[in-house]
Amino acid sequence: MTQTIVPDISFRAVSKRYGEVRAVDRVDLDLPKGSFVSLLGPSGCGKTTCLRMMAGFEQPSEGEVFIRGDNVTGVPAYKRPVNMVFQHYALFPHLNVADNVSYGLRQRSPKPPREAVAKAVDEALAMVRLQGYGQRRTWELSGGQQQRVALARALINRPAVLLLDEPLAALDRKLRHDMQIELQNLQRNVGITFLLVTHDQEEALSMSDRVCIMKDGRLVQTGTPRELYDEPVNGYVADFVGKSNFFAGIAGNARSGLIDVALADGMKATGRASRSTVSPEAGEAVLVSVRPEQIRLAAAETDLPNQVAFRTQAKVLNRIFLGEQTEYLVAHEKLGEFMVRSPRQGNQALAFEIGDRVAVGWPPDAALILAKD
Amino acid sequence: MPQLAPISRSKTVTALLVAPAGLFFFFLLVLPLIVVVIYSFGARADAGGYAPAFTLDNYANLPARGQAFFNTLTLAPLGTLLTALFAYPLAYFLAVKASPKSRTLLLVLVIVPFWTSQLLRYYAWIMILGSKGIPSWLAYLGISDLRIINTPWAVLIGAVYGFLPLMVLPIYVSLEKLDKRLLEASADLGANSWRSFLQVTLPLSLPGVATGSMLVFILLMGEYILPQLLGGGKVFFIGNALVDLFLQSRNWPFGAAVSTALVAIMFVTIVIYMRFVLSRGDVRRAALV
Amino acid sequence: MADDKIITPQKFIEELRRFQKGSVTRRHFLGVTGLGVATAVLGGAMPGLKPRKAYAALSGTVNLTTWPNYHNQENLDAFTKKTGVTINMNVFGSNEEMLAKLQAGSTGWDVFVPTNYTISTYKGLDLIEPLDLKLLPNYDVASQDQRFTSEGTIDGTVYAVPKNWGTTGFVINTKNVTQNPTSWKEFWDLTKGPLSGRVMVHDYQLTTIGNALKYFGYSFNSNDEKQLAEAEKLMLEAKPHLFAINSDYQPSMRNGDAWVSVAWTGDATQLHRDLPEIQYVLGKEGGEIWTDYFAIPKGAANKDAAYALIDWLLTPEINAKEVQAHGYPSTDARTNKLVSKEMLENPILYPAKDLLTNLEFGAAATLTNPLRAEIMARFKSA
Repeated sequence: MTQTIVPDISFRAVSKRYGEVRAVDRVDLDLPKGSFVSLLGPSGCGKTTCLRMMAGFEQPSEGEVFIRGDNVTGVPAYKRPVNMVFQHYALFPHLNVADNVSYGLRQRSPKPPREAVAKAVDEALAMVRLQGYGQRRTWELSGGQQQRVALARALINRPAVLLLDEPLAALDRKLRHDMQIELQNLQRNVGITFLLVTHDQEEALSMSDRVCIMKDGRLVQTGTPRELYDEPVNGYVADFVGKSNFFAGIAGNARSGLIDVALADGMKATGRASRSTVSPEAGEAVLVSVRPEQIRLAAAETDLPNQVAFRTQAKVLNRIFLGEQTEYLVAHEKLGEFMVRSPRQGNQALAFEIGDRVAVGWPPDAALILAKD
Repeated sequence: MPQLAPISRSKTVTALLVAPAGLFFFFLLVLPLIVVVIYSFGARADAGGYAPAFTLDNYANLPARGQAFFNTLTLAPLGTLLTALFAYPLAYFLAVKASPKSRTLLLVLVIVPFWTSQLLRYYAWIMILGSKGIPSWLAYLGISDLRIINTPWAVLIGAVYGFLPLMVLPIYVSLEKLDKRLLEASADLGANSWRSFLQVTLPLSLPGVATGSMLVFILLMGEYILPQLLGGGKVFFIGNALVDLFLQSRNWPFGAAVSTALVAIMFVTIVIYMRFVLSRGDVRRAALV
Repeated sequence: MADDKIITPQKFIEELRRFQKGSVTRRHFLGVTGLGVATAVLGGAMPGLKPRKAYAALSGTVNLTTWPNYHNQENLDAFTKKTGVTINMNVFGSNEEMLAKLQAGSTGWDVFVPTNYTISTYKGLDLIEPLDLKLLPNYDVASQDQRFTSEGTIDGTVYAVPKNWGTTGFVINTKNVTQNPTSWKEFWDLTKGPLSGRVMVHDYQLTTIGNALKYFGYSFNSNDEKQLAEAEKLMLEAKPHLFAINSDYQPSMRNGDAWVSVAWTGDATQLHRDLPEIQYVLGKEGGEIWTDYFAIPKGAANKDAAYALIDWLLTPEINAKEVQAHGYPSTDARTNKLVSKEMLENPILYPAKDLLTNLEFGAAATLTNPLRAEIMARFKSA
């Protein structure tokens, strides 16, 4: 018998209905101990509702919630060993920083001794680099400092899971980047499981070990950032995680891991199925997904590398200089417009001008054959 | 022709905006108050009224109305406290528990009594508190011969009834704008709903309680219809003493001295209150947020 | 009986209606609350309500300052119809208040109704006009009882003519009070004893102190310090036993909270009319008799209309209708002939001669005595 490690939080077929609307629809989820997990999706996808069901602010309509193996379905928020960092921090305006941070400890019964609380507050403030801020009023602090107070206030309780509800949304771009790094470091140092809810895919991919992508109340795919990028289960994930070009087609026969696809107007392409899902059946309507950086450009088709199987002609519509890369918008008379990113190559980086006719193509393993959502 | 500089134009606008309130305060508050203070050093004319003089006799005579000051200064704070105790749960229900649909209706119901004459409502209370009202119902429960009307208790009941909306509305406002996420944060940090109420809701709604209390306290300090009607003339407030002094014995200078003393007491109370509120920056901040 | 004890919704509404119709006397209540002053101030301040001077014929508005429920609306309407003069009526709560207002000046009043003991004060302060009786053809001195006219005439000049008179006694609810008191001594002894918590006195020093003085057999008008001290002691002893100190005693008498109250003639008439068990008693030691007068304040803007209105209301046929409405006895023998027999035989309006002989008219000094004012204040605040 193998010993399984109990996840910090588990959802078992959890649904949440508001009247006719299913905000969360049969979600199964495990947060492994010590992991940094993101719940990613557009607004209204149900990610915040999931978070609130973990915190205990909402109770599931169906299904069960476990925290460290204990069934906590129906248990109110104040009895759950999880803590939250709210989107706008929700610091208590009538309490100073130290009293905000010690709030959780002071709710315990029996009350911990005053010196112990003071010591814990000092440590918590040191952890978020706010030593000596204890007597400050919360509204005197900057947004980033308030964020760190909120973190200290939650982490001082040593929760099973720290829930973060879009914690960086209110910060400016530079600060947000710093906080991303700080959060990652913090998570590594304290070893507590973090669950981050965000609609920002870059944030989710850069910070977390695992990302759960949600859509319309359902969990679409869970995986490491790399898995989601390279092996999306469908076009939705491929589009949400990074940019991609999609071409509609009909799946043909599969042979040695590769699938033929009939594109518009009888064009043929070859690609591979995502390793995250089963191969499409022959005759199924599919999408061919190609990342912009996987598409090659050349002056003539003969100039394209050998491994490029699919080759055709297109016209450059637009060109954006991005430094290390150049982004082209090209138009194909059958396939429509699509995006290409070319790395800078020596001095001839801006090889193509707007209006040039160019050869485009991609190797078979760059094209993912995905089910339509 | 030289144009008005923007700054002086805005000064003109400011002056115009301030003028109505300024004139109002000067002619209807400051000027009468000066007259009252001048009169308080005068003497009573033989047939009543005011005769010019300069004497401190009227102030020396203030202890003659000591009982009225005592009654007012005990019953007004007590009435304020009771009103707050009754108003808070009501305001809490309206702001927190009532559904948004019923909330408007309930708020209107709180204010509706103000549409009727205050006299008429106090007359209704004379009957409700009279021997055929509540005491007769209590008699069925075995509490017999209870006298409520024309006692200080009737005045307190009337105060709670009459001033409840003035207390409910500021408390309601402070509770209504209370960020509900703070309560979630409190629950998240392990506080049950009662502790959350004590540690978050109550302190953050204190500015509303303070505002309402100030309103009710000031009005109760000057009250005279209420003790006259529900106190049956046996509960004697400073307001009643003033009515008698100005309209019955027509001892205007003494009445002016009593008024000045009343204004002074209220002024001191308000200053203490303001200091208390302003010194608690967190509460003020919370009130402004 | 259950329905007797509990105030039913129907009864409440009845009381409410009574209040709205104004059949419950507000006279002294208004005095205490100062609402009368407010009405008067508003009335005076509204430019549209200011009277215009009449030239040829009568016109404009006549401002009548009087007591609540003191006129027959029919009579007032008929006057307006006849003369084209609009009557703007202000009701007041107390004589002191009227005096305070007139002293302050610019009242805009044309006619007002002072009580006997105030007229000399008005004259002393030069606040009222001498009356030209030629302009009051319907007023006949010969038909008046001299004691009801004397205080309107000062040094041979007529300043006020009598409207009606009345007495101050007490009402008892005979359903609850079986002792059958007939004197002020019994009134105060019952208050301190078996009727504790059921008796009301006026919020008015003149009558409350006056009737306490009567307990000891002193004059209603006594200003003797020793006698007043005795009266004060009695009042302070009685204070904890009183149901209320309030001149608005009709509601409490009607709903049964109060069983006894110091009362004026007209209130007694109204109470007895609705609740026959309520009787009116004049203390046999005496007490107060009074007369209300019509007078014209100095500087009245519409004097012609003022004279016309007084004359109209003193016309016997008109005055009889007034009496029928307000329930106070007229001073005019011609009017009395026209009043219903039922009323003439009502002992509340016309008490037995032997009871009347002990009554005293209130004196100006009684009203303005500062010591009395202080005693009343101590009594109320005790």
